[in-house]
Amino acid sequence: MAADHHTVDDGGEGLPLPTTIASGAVAAAVLLPLVWLVRTALNVGLDGAIAISTRPATVQVFLNSAALVVVVTAASVLIGVPFAYLTVRTDLPFRRGVTVAVSLPLVIPSYIGAFAFVSAFGPQGAFQRLLAPLGVERLPDIYGFTGAALVITLYTYPYVFITTRAALKSLDTTLIDAARTLDHGRWRAFRRVTVPQIRPAVTAGSLLVALYTLSDFGTPAIMQFDAFTRVIYVEFTSFGRDVASLLSLQLVAVTLLILGLESHVRGNEPLHAGQQGGRTGGTVRLGPWKYVAFAACLAVAGLALLVPLGILLTWLARGGAEVGNALAFRSEYAINSVGVAVGAALVATVVGLPVAYLAAGYRSRLADAFERATYVGYAVPGVVLGLALVYLGTSYARPFYQTVYLLVAAYVIRFLPQAVGSMRASFLRVNPALPEAARTLGRTSFGAFRAVTLPLIAPGLLGGAALVFLTTMKELPATLLLRPSGFKTLVTHIWTATESGYYGHAAVPALILLGVSGLSMLVILSQEGYDVK
Amino acid sequence: MRDSPSSRRRILRMGGVAGVASIAGCSGLLGGSSGGDNGGGGGNGGGGGGDDTVGQIGSGRSPFGERDLSGGTPMSAMPELSGELTLYSGRGEPLVDRLISFIEDLYPDLTVQPRYNAAADLVNQIETEGENSPADVFFSVNAGSLGALKDRGRTMELSSEVIDAVPDQFYDPEGMWVGTSGRARTVPYNTDALSESDIPDDIFAFPETEAFRDAIACAPSYSSFQAFITAMRALNGEEETRSWLEGMLELGLDANYADEFLVSQAVADGELRAGFANHYYIQRVLAGRPDAPISTAFTQGDAGSIFNVAGACVLDTASSPDLASDFVRHLLSAEAQDYFARETFEYPMVPGIDPIGRLPSIDELNPPEGLDLTQLSDLEGTVTLLRDVGML
Repeated sequence: MAADHHTVDDGGEGLPLPTTIASGAVAAAVLLPLVWLVRTALNVGLDGAIAISTRPATVQVFLNSAALVVVVTAASVLIGVPFAYLTVRTDLPFRRGVTVAVSLPLVIPSYIGAFAFVSAFGPQGAFQRLLAPLGVERLPDIYGFTGAALVITLYTYPYVFITTRAALKSLDTTLIDAARTLDHGRWRAFRRVTVPQIRPAVTAGSLLVALYTLSDFGTPAIMQFDAFTRVIYVEFTSFGRDVASLLSLQLVAVTLLILGLESHVRGNEPLHAGQQGGRTGGTVRLGPWKYVAFAACLAVAGLALLVPLGILLTWLARGGAEVGNALAFRSEYAINSVGVAVGAALVATVVGLPVAYLAAGYRSRLADAFERATYVGYAVPGVVLGLALVYLGTSYARPFYQTVYLLVAAYVIRFLPQAVGSMRASFLRVNPALPEAARTLGRTSFGAFRAVTLPLIAPGLLGGAALVFLTTMKELPATLLLRPSGFKTLVTHIWTATESGYYGHAAVPALILLGVSGLSMLVILSQEGYDVK
Repeated sequence: MRDSPSSRRRILRMGGVAGVASIAGCSGLLGGSSGGDNGGGGGNGGGGGGDDTVGQIGSGRSPFGERDLSGGTPMSAMPELSGELTLYSGRGEPLVDRLISFIEDLYPDLTVQPRYNAAADLVNQIETEGENSPADVFFSVNAGSLGALKDRGRTMELSSEVIDAVPDQFYDPEGMWVGTSGRARTVPYNTDALSESDIPDDIFAFPETEAFRDAIACAPSYSSFQAFITAMRALNGEEETRSWLEGMLELGLDANYADEFLVSQAVADGELRAGFANHYYIQRVLAGRPDAPISTAFTQGDAGSIFNVAGACVLDTASSPDLASDFVRHLLSAEAQDYFARETFEYPMVPGIDPIGRLPSIDELNPPEGLDLTQLSDLEGTVTLLRDVGML
């Protein structure tokens, strides 16, 4: 299994058969939920469907969502890429700690983040009360587009950060050295050498941000922004399951559009060159600027992490009604969370591997289609995906319904593209000459893959696993629908508290969620062979 | 489809019960005066009691707090429960967990498997599960989601022992679901900005009330608000409801809140002068901040004062319909009714058990006459209307 870069006829001839079958099976499995969506949406009938799709409000919310996607994605790139560069390529102080801190906003559920920002920065929220003695009577409005864009950006830029970081980790820095010897300045070397190398990873991360923004329920609802998902939400809460499914299919259609767009942008050129697998070194010295960079990283991570924690702790300190045992914390919640998240990360990495390998190594429409298919589950709101699996589970897999197996399957379907995107970007940087050399030295194709390719893609593999892990830790809607009865995780516990209005009681589990995720991130980073000097 | 002539007559007859208190007053059913300790335990609105031990059953003493229970039927007078029961609960775990554990601990052979989620999600889940649903009982926050399951043919008729425990207007005319506790629609207002006399007692006077200008809010995607608008459509018709909504929007109604707890918080914070919310959200704000400048106002005899119920139904997929039905009956026991008054600040359904907190009693409320709670499940027209006027 060498990572060759072949152009293959559209018929798919020339693709390695076992990998293609595996990849196709994965794609088929993750597309299964669409069966339910289509089935349910068909109940609406053609006239109803046309009426719903063409009403002015639908068009307006589409435009709103589109604007949100563009702004959030751009902002995430502007934050995620520099942070990745700083933590990998420079002498930033406490690089490992900063890496963990900057990644952690990903585990804050968006509805907690949004709620906290409203409480803190609302027209007369906690922040205003703090400033009231100074004569500040009202803060500028955080509701609406600005607030939604700000909050979603703060909690999704880690997608770009983590994928870009993985690419920078396996970047062959001798290329940059070469560029520098050719009299390129540092910036020009970055632009002409580093940028093309990390572009697939940046676009992979951006795609995740864009699709997340498109399908997020919680933030637009709390920020009072009329996004497309708010319309779906309204239908679901008024028992309009069929219309909600139809609208979700429209969301899938938009997703396909974005996927097509990204295919053009990301580039599919093999990126290996020279002696790949060569050195990664030559830390860029920032001088006194390193403190500025350090402060910038902490400021962003601090804003994203401390605002919700601060608000929840304020609520906790304020006390509240006695709520009995239901909100008492048990360590099994953390164990359950980590258990299903590790399970999801492992399964997603294993089943994503053939898909990523095929899509990176072969220029074939079939391979691309398989890879694109994995994004569909991710772009459907969690509650919709959850219901689709409720249908599939009760109809065809009754013994697995409401067990952790189906729950982990749901996570994998939902988050698979996070692993695939990161791994694909890594495969693109593997020079096929290397595994080929191993084969000429007598290795089997699998042996060459294991001995040569795998170590080269390890950062991408781990980056993808980390993304799946962190997002599974915070997944709520599908968890609520599919968990075994009585199975509680950190996030369902947080939900239990907030849903009943006991926000203060969410503080402790939220702190533990951050702590456990942070520790797990350290473990993942140590596997990366992190070279902290 | 849902109103047989006889049931409609009954609704007309019973519709004003809670408000006019004619029947209640005559029979003494809702009075509960013999205990002599009415609402004594909860004058400050703070729930809890902090006592987790299971009390003695049938002694007449509330197992959840300090008062004697004279009315209602104790659990000891109900059929024993045994077997395994899957309970889909749209009511939050912190609100009902102690009650369910209490019932479970009472019977050694009973196992309850509760499954918590938002009520609408559970309706969607049960509908999607179809005939393979593991659910036996659905416990919901409102009549709307119970009615939605009934309309989809997913409920079973409850036995007369169950529905006879509550006044007629608090159960489904066909006996498909029963209310277990009640919540009133109210107007939370900031006591620093307004006094009670500033709040009109006619909901249709609201759009002309300048005191509310740019300082009143609602949560239009929240089911209880939609039930309120649904009631207005049923009582006053489509056009009048539309012009009320448009009038409120012209007054600067902020229709952007995610839920009514947030509305009540904003009222307490002075961000708003008034809002629309269920009565217990105000009690819950006060439970956390006893000095918050927030109080409760009621409109009289219109959609603004509808009285909705949380309730339960037995599903057509119940593996043991008798167990399921008997479990629902336990939710109407004296102990359970006392629990709802004490822990969730709700109105008990069973005559003889009083509410607790800074609340008027159930017979001082004046909900509109001639409204069937199942009509409130027809949210589709409401959603369309809210969307038309630009609130959703």
